This record gives sequence, structure tokens and C-alpha cells, in this order.
Amino acid sequence: MSGQNIWDKLQNVDRRVFYWILFVALTVPFLSPIGLPITITPSSQAFYDGIKTIEKGEVVVLSINSGVSAWGDCLPAMVASVHKVYDQGGKLIVWSIGYTDVDITWAKIKEKLPDVFSKWKEGEDYVYFGYSPPQETNVALLRDNIRAIYPKDVRGVATDQIPLMKDINGANKIKFVLSSDTGDAQMYYVRQWKNGPVNYEKTEKPPTVAELGIAMNKSGDMAYFLSGDLFGLVAGSRGAAELEALTGYKGDATITMDSISVSHILLVLAIILTNISMFATRGNKK
Amino acid sequence: MSQIYKREMVFIVTGVVALVMMLDYFFGKNIPGISGAGNISSTLQTWALIIQLMAIGLGAINLIQVHYRQISRKTNMAVYSAWFMGFFALLLLLGFYKLATGVELYPYTWIFKNVYVSLGTTLYAITGFYIFSAAYRAFRARNIDAAILLIGGIFVLLANAPIGEVIWGGFPLIGNWFNNVGQVPGMRTFTVVGALGLLAFGFRALIGKERGFYSEVQ
Repeated sequence: MSGQNIWDKLQNVDRRVFYWILFVALTVPFLSPIGLPITITPSSQAFYDGIKTIEKGEVVVLSINSGVSAWGDCLPAMVASVHKVYDQGGKLIVWSIGYTDVDITWAKIKEKLPDVFSKWKEGEDYVYFGYSPPQETNVALLRDNIRAIYPKDVRGVATDQIPLMKDINGANKIKFVLSSDTGDAQMYYVRQWKNGPVNYEKTEKPPTVAELGIAMNKSGDMAYFLSGDLFGLVAGSRGAAELEALTGYKGDATITMDSISVSHILLVLAIILTNISMFATRGNKK
Repeated sequence: MSQIYKREMVFIVTGVVALVMMLDYFFGKNIPGISGAGNISSTLQTWALIIQLMAIGLGAINLIQVHYRQISRKTNMAVYSAWFMGFFALLLLLGFYKLATGVELYPYTWIFKNVYVSLGTTLYAITGFYIFSAAYRAFRARNIDAAILLIGGIFVLLANAPIGEVIWGGFPLIGNWFNNVGQVPGMRTFTVVGALGLLAFGFRALIGKERGFYSEVQ
């Protein structure tokens, strides 16, 4: 050990050192926000352009297919989207394909938007149905018969008695599906709702789908966005920050961007440092 | 004889269900010459939903069995199993109370908000620390392939962070090119190949050639 030079030592830094560096560095932007400007990516812009076309009374489905562990990535985009649906005068149907903790996520969204939910009436402007099991067959069934899966909402009110659901029992009356995912449930909607024209009357238009996903899935979702299967893609907290900038609703994602900047630049510096030390010690090992 | 009967029954049930669902997908509810086809597919989908819900109940029973075994054998994990059983029973009781009365008791909400949410978000956030440490050890340009991966990764990282654009305007341009153009052919290839594999699997299962699917009944 005593024969090790600085480069050798850098090659074997204890992992706890990194944890502390990151922890300390991440506290800085919280104490003193930087507030760097962000540019808008085409996928977020397309999402915004899409939901901007919602007209008064049109119905949007928010499918919460992400759990509380993904709040950092998914929650801000859902909050900004619900806010925009409200601004546009749209109506909202909310459910989840496969996440048992959806009640907490929905409660959090409502908590973040007190101005919206103090004016919106449950049952008339929005309805919350809660959990359904995580299978594509359920999405297929929802397309034709919502009441088969949700005979009542979480309050226990029969779906037939909910004013918002009076003329709605399938995908044919839905304009958009906003799917927030940590997996691939958005593709269930693409396959079963959007890409199934045979299931609609000639006068009906299948709903289009957008993704509010985790950043890790961006590469996979991008292929579907470019093919037109997804009309918009908001990926991770960065995408959510872009959406917040577009909608004018400044939420958690905008604040998170400073932490993203600090953590990413630290990561790049660490990668550069480890490569310099690797090249510096390469000759020694030979 | 009964084994053959069981096997043939599985073939027939699988084949009929697959055929109905495929017809429903490609022809919708109005299959020429078959009245009420849509109802059949909807019924099958409802059955699938019931089976899924039963599976959740079975999963819960299985969990209880596994953890009860750990406790009764007094293994090293028994203490964790006891924790599980305690919380399971508590939440079950609180849940049933809510179901019966419609009243959500405070402990039920408290456990979800202050235990479940905190643990869930912490678990996700903690990966950032692991990634930081792991990247330091793994992201080394040991050969040309690793160097290309490294450079691409740095551009994507700095395109995602607002500070990247402040450092140099080219970072988001190049990083987003990797995101929106560079990686897409690879992703499409994975998707198409995966779909072809699924088609082949489905076809083999349909004609009874997929051993993995039928092995339990053969």
C-alpha cells in the first residue's frame, strides 16, 4: 500500500467517499437554487402540442402505471398534465393497470393541485377508479367495456350513476390516454386502443396515446414516439421540467433540475478522473 | 389415457381461446358470419381478469406459507418473516375494517404514507448513489468499444442536465442525436426481433410444439 502513488489510490477509492461527495453536493442546490434554463426537446413539445388541443368537455384517461418509488420521475409530469387538462376544460378518468399503491399516487396528485381539485367536482369533472390487475387483456376489455372492470369507482358509486360516465363505456369516447409507466403498459394502449381501427365505428376516432415515463425507458419509448404510436413523450424529471416550462406550472421537476445538473456533472468528472488515473497507471502495471 | 385427455384438453382450450382473441383483434366485434363473437371475446377477457385476481389471493397465501415455514423452523430469516406476518395481519385487519365500514383508520393511512412511501422513494433514490460509485469503476476506456460507449454516455448525460448546455451548446445537440436517432435503429431491431420471437412462440404453443408451456401437463 505504501508504494501506491496518487493515481493508484484514485483507482481504488472507497465507495463511501463517492456517497458522501454526492450527498454533500446534492444539498448545495437545495440550499442555494441555481435555476439554469432548459431547452425543450421535440418529444415534450409534441406532448404539449397534443394536450393543448383538448377542448372543453373532452375526456382524457390518466393511466397511473407507476408506483411511489418512481415519483421522482413520473409524478411531476402527471401533476403538470392534470393541471393542463383542467386548464383546457377537459375531463379526466383515472385508473391504474397493475399498481396497488395507486391510491397514494392519486392522493399526492390531488394534494399538489389544491386549486384544481377545489373547483373540479368528483364524478362530474373527474372520476377515480383505482387498481386493476397488470395484464394487457384488461386494457383490451377496457376498450369495449369499462364497466366490466370497474362496475363502481373507489368511493363505491356505481359507474352507471356517475354523471361523467353516463355516455362512456369504452375507448371510443376518449380523446387521449396519458400513460405514466415504469414498464410497458403504454404499449397495451397502443396495441389495444390506438392500433385497432376495426373496433371502432367509421365515424369514431381511436384515442391516441402519450407516455409520461421514467428516464430509463426513454430509449425504448423514443422508437414508438418516432413511429407515431405515441403522440408525445415526457421522459423522466427532465421531460417533466420541460412540460412545466411549457405549461407555466412550476412544480417539483423544475426544482429537481439543479440536482440533476450537479449529479450529472459530478458523474462526468468522476468518469474523467477514473480514466486519467487508469491511463496514468497503465504503464506501471505492465 | 387420462394424461392424453388432459393434454388434448389443454391444446383445445388454448387453441380456441387464441383463435377467438386473434379474430377479435384483427376483425373486431363484427366477424363476418359469426354473430356474438365480440361477446365471446369479452367474456374470455373477463375470465382472465377473475383468474388474475384469484392469482393475487393465491400469492398472498403462498407468502404466508413461506414466512410461516421460516418462523416455525427458526431460520436466520425468521425475524424478518415475523415482521412480515405482523404487518400483513395488521394491514389485512385495517383493510377489512375499511371494507366493512367505509372508514379508513388513521394507522392504515399512516403506514402507507410514512412507511411505504418513504421506503419506496428511498429505494429508488439510493440507486443514484450506487450508479455514481459503479460508474467510477466501470466506465473506463479499456478498449475502443468501451471508449465509444463512454463518449456517447457522456454526451447523453450532459444533454439531460441543463448545465451541459451552459458548458457547451453542442452537448444537447449531440446527446439528443444519440437519443433520438443513434439508438433508435438498435431499439427497433430489438422490438421487431422480440415480436417475431413472440409470434413463433405463440404459434408453437398453439400447435402444441412448445414444450415449456405444456410440460406441466405432459
